[in-house]
Amino acid sequence: MAEAAKQSAIEKHKLNFAFRDRLNSVAEGFRHNYCYQCGACVADCPASMYSKGFNPRLIILKALLGFEDELIRADSEIWNCTNCYTCSERCPQEVRPVDVIIAMKNICVAEGKAPALVRNISDTVLTDGITTRKTSVTERRRQELGLSPVKDYPIDEIAKILKD
Amino acid sequence: MKKYIPFFGCMMTTKYPHFESAVRKTVAKIGMELVDIDGFTCCPDPIYFQARDKMQWYTIAARNIALAEEAGHDIITTCSGCTATLSETNLALKEDPELRAKINIRLAKIGRQYKGTIDVRHAVTVLRDDFGYDKVAATVTKPLDGLKVAVHYGCHLLKPSHVMRVDDPDHPTILENLIKAIGAIPIHHEKTLLCCGRACFNEEIPDKMVLDILGSIKKVDADCMGLICPTCFDEFDMGQIIRGRKHHITLDVPVIYYFQLLGLAQGMKPEEVGLNLHKVKVDRIFKRTAVGA
Repeated sequence: MAEAAKQSAIEKHKLNFAFRDRLNSVAEGFRHNYCYQCGACVADCPASMYSKGFNPRLIILKALLGFEDELIRADSEIWNCTNCYTCSERCPQEVRPVDVIIAMKNICVAEGKAPALVRNISDTVLTDGITTRKTSVTERRRQELGLSPVKDYPIDEIAKILKD
Repeated sequence: MKKYIPFFGCMMTTKYPHFESAVRKTVAKIGMELVDIDGFTCCPDPIYFQARDKMQWYTIAARNIALAEEAGHDIITTCSGCTATLSETNLALKEDPELRAKINIRLAKIGRQYKGTIDVRHAVTVLRDDFGYDKVAATVTKPLDGLKVAVHYGCHLLKPSHVMRVDDPDHPTILENLIKAIGAIPIHHEKTLLCCGRACFNEEIPDKMVLDILGSIKKVDADCMGLICPTCFDEFDMGQIIRGRKHHITLDVPVIYYFQLLGLAQGMKPEEVGLNLHKVKVDRIFKRTAVGA
């Protein structure tokens, strides 16, 4: 192997404990420390069943070793988690892999490394107060069904509580 | 008598108001009194918004719960996404005083406070626990005799079980019992407990999951799929049409929200519960069974 390639392979897999600290600082992120790599989370994980690239045990291992470049990016495998919580049910250590994955998603967003869709969809909560906007037929249909019109959402209150 | 504050969430309010209407009409017959309050926002959604910033997610959810606390009644949810967000936030804040204090500093800016005085439960859980299957059955005037309903739980009624505390997440019975209560036959299939896959960013994953679930329902020859979450509904109704086109197959599995089935059993007309608005036509359930006759 050429010296440069060898060097970059070593760099890529260098332990990075700073990432552990970073993850510990995000809500629920500290749970990754409890993992003893038993793999109970894998067998019933639907994302694993339907996508060869997804493995919750390996995701947690990469977090423990600090493989930040593989995890914190818009095309990281973490974005294929189904959020079904089956891994949390199976985990004997209360790692709750899905919650650790969500913590890593939070880091992606904070660092501008999340899929654009996350911000596009979640921004509507700030601009409209809801995620699924009204369509042209919403009010007519509500009226036909005898339901009250959709009220304005208090987005002024939302804007005030987002930060400490 | 105990009253409940309904939290319909954005998807049902804007996209599936016929589900909201079905819930309102059916639970009224069972004696569940709903008190509407002003000021709710998006729960906010447990996928994209939680991925954005969990503290902001907790804060907005806590604001919604605080509004219900001010009114003094428990929240009932009708969407599994809202159930996930509000239940998880409610438990996290009840159990973690440090987190609660942080969130309350934010809420104080708008003169509100989360106290931890109410519960958040999906409407089906309230039917089981506060009313009972018999009370549901007692409102049935046209039992859905012979209708085979393939059960789809979706994820967030049951999991995470330490938060939801509704049923055994691997061997649940609540939906089966509610389907029996309206005279229909709950049908288990290989993929009864599989997730709809909506949260995955790689579209191929939910494609395969949805097709597998629908295929597994076809195998057991059920008349329709019965579920309790508008996001799952989206995946299996509109999603069925889109995936059918993509893969050049016709699946033809009608998808029905539980409270629409309950409405039919209580004698409501199919249009009254919005069955005419589904993308996958539901007429075949009326042809194959005595339902709606």
